Amino acid sequence: MTVEAASRAAGTADGGRARLPVRSGSAESSDGVRIAWEEFGSGDPTIVLLPSAPIIHSRQWKGQIHYLSRSWRVISFDGRGNGRSDHPTDPAAYHDDRFVEDIVTVLDATGTASAVLVGLCTDGVWRAIRLAAEHPERVLGIVAFAVGVPRLATPQPHYVAASAVFDEELPTSDGWAKYNRHHWRRDYPDFAEFFFSQMAIEPYSTKAIEDASGWACDGSVEAMLADAAAEFPFDRDGVEAIAQKVRCPMLLVHGTDDQCQLPARAERLAELTGAPLVLVEGAGHMIPARHPVLANLLIRDFVRGLAGTR
Amino acid sequence: MAVAASPGAPAEPSRARLPDASGFVERDGVRIAWERHGSGTPTILLMPTWSIFTSRHWKFQVPYLARHFRVVTFDGRGNGRSDRPTEPAAYADTEYVRDAAAVLDATDTDRALVVGMSMGGAFTLRFAVDEPDRTLGIVLIGPAVPVGDRPEGTPDVVPDVDFEEPQDPEADDGWGRYNAHFWRRDWPGFAEWFVGTRVFSEAHSTKHIEDGVGWALGTDADAMIAKRRAPRLRRPSDWPTPPSTEGRAIAFVRRVGCPALVIQGTDDRVIGIEVGRRLARELGAPIVEIEGGGHAPHLREPVLVNRLIAEFARSLAGPASVEP
Repeated sequence: MTVEAASRAAGTADGGRARLPVRSGSAESSDGVRIAWEEFGSGDPTIVLLPSAPIIHSRQWKGQIHYLSRSWRVISFDGRGNGRSDHPTDPAAYHDDRFVEDIVTVLDATGTASAVLVGLCTDGVWRAIRLAAEHPERVLGIVAFAVGVPRLATPQPHYVAASAVFDEELPTSDGWAKYNRHHWRRDYPDFAEFFFSQMAIEPYSTKAIEDASGWACDGSVEAMLADAAAEFPFDRDGVEAIAQKVRCPMLLVHGTDDQCQLPARAERLAELTGAPLVLVEGAGHMIPARHPVLANLLIRDFVRGLAGTR
Repeated sequence: MAVAASPGAPAEPSRARLPDASGFVERDGVRIAWERHGSGTPTILLMPTWSIFTSRHWKFQVPYLARHFRVVTFDGRGNGRSDRPTEPAAYADTEYVRDAAAVLDATDTDRALVVGMSMGGAFTLRFAVDEPDRTLGIVLIGPAVPVGDRPEGTPDVVPDVDFEEPQDPEADDGWGRYNAHFWRRDWPGFAEWFVGTRVFSEAHSTKHIEDGVGWALGTDADAMIAKRRAPRLRRPSDWPTPPSTEGRAIAFVRRVGCPALVIQGTDDRVIGIEVGRRLARELGAPIVEIEGGGHAPHLREPVLVNRLIAEFARSLAGPASVEP
């Protein structure tokens, strides 16, 4: 008898997925961009796993889908700019409003009246907050990992420094100097590997880094550049006003060693909303990938807790 | 409100399961540390392996198996909480077999399913031959049992002279490090090479390598050199002489009367897969080959190996299924 080890099988494209979708499809968003979604399991309420930035796609939730879908209906989708969704290259396609609309598009396409939203970083967390503020009837609750709400506190200093010279040809491509338009065009896989080595900063993260770098390369540099060029349309007061409109239950989970989002953003959002904040000691940015059992149990307890509030 | 959650903690204090009982047995002045976990039938004895690892190398088996079975482990002489004698005779395979029997006595265990990895496979084989009434079955993982073909340079084919005389470390694809002078000069260097490139050949093994090198640093060159010089698989004088081409283990293999299972990675860089295949044929036992797996599948593919051990243990439990 020969068995193929599960961990290696999982590395081969989609062949090794722990659970295959029961249904999948592609929905057209308001600006004509097609968004690819998948549905797993059954059970109320529905949990929607939101995309993060176009550097990654829905496989980022590989450590959650097969667990959560044993108890609930789970929807995931590839964010515009990566995976099986369209990869538009016009910055207008990456406006904040488009990301919020994409969530609604997927909820409608899958016949989901309302759902628990689970997101990571800005594209997941901030857009979930906006949807909850603007269409509260669609959002039962939010689990926010690596709480990426722009403006609430200063960005990581290495982003500030790199963004200031993002369009310039730099004399070096060491470290965060890889976060640069010209380096992306020259050697995007090198940037991706560096970037995810920072996002999965915990020891023993080689598999998480390899996975995520591979998903980055499923996307495109032009989509990344278009996303980077999109202006964030709110100032701090605007962000805080929207956050304070959220009425649904919310759980915040943040790593103390997150290299993408400083914990101060999570702390400020907790102050504004009264949401509980779980600070994970020593964890980096990708808590669902690096601490899947912890992440899964936090989501489970949150979803179970909602039953009493509805 | 901020709640602290800690996904990881320091290595040893964070054992997933603590033993229900532990103690020492002493034989000829050498103390052997054992632990017992869980309850259920049958008892599973997880054998020590080469003294480069302690019983912690079963860290992924103990917490799972102990939920269903009674599990006994002990640190092999030369590492862990057991003593580190420096006389070669103290490291004979027969000493490990007697240690195992003494640990079974100390834990009130009549008989057990015995599981051994690498050199622990040789100890397990010898236990099955010397203590047939106490052996319900055996599982041999990446077994260092000298039958059939094996890769050039691997430990069991390194001639004594190559071990004892100074060697170029890079000789034989790096196996020149398997050498008494190298070990005395740089035991940590050997441990890092052996654990980091030979035992764990799979990608994403950084944690396993760190663990394994850490266990290796619990012993030293003196103990390991004594172990290398120890008698192993010596036939009792009343056994007939087998053909020299069949390896010195064959006479033992053919005396095993209990059910057996062999588990091995096809990319095992310490003990070639042909060894496991030949061993399985000789034992009339099934072999589970893990495609692309290395020398320590119980650490790199623990779920698979745990389920194989559990399934095998259950097949032994019923009176009707004890027959080979």
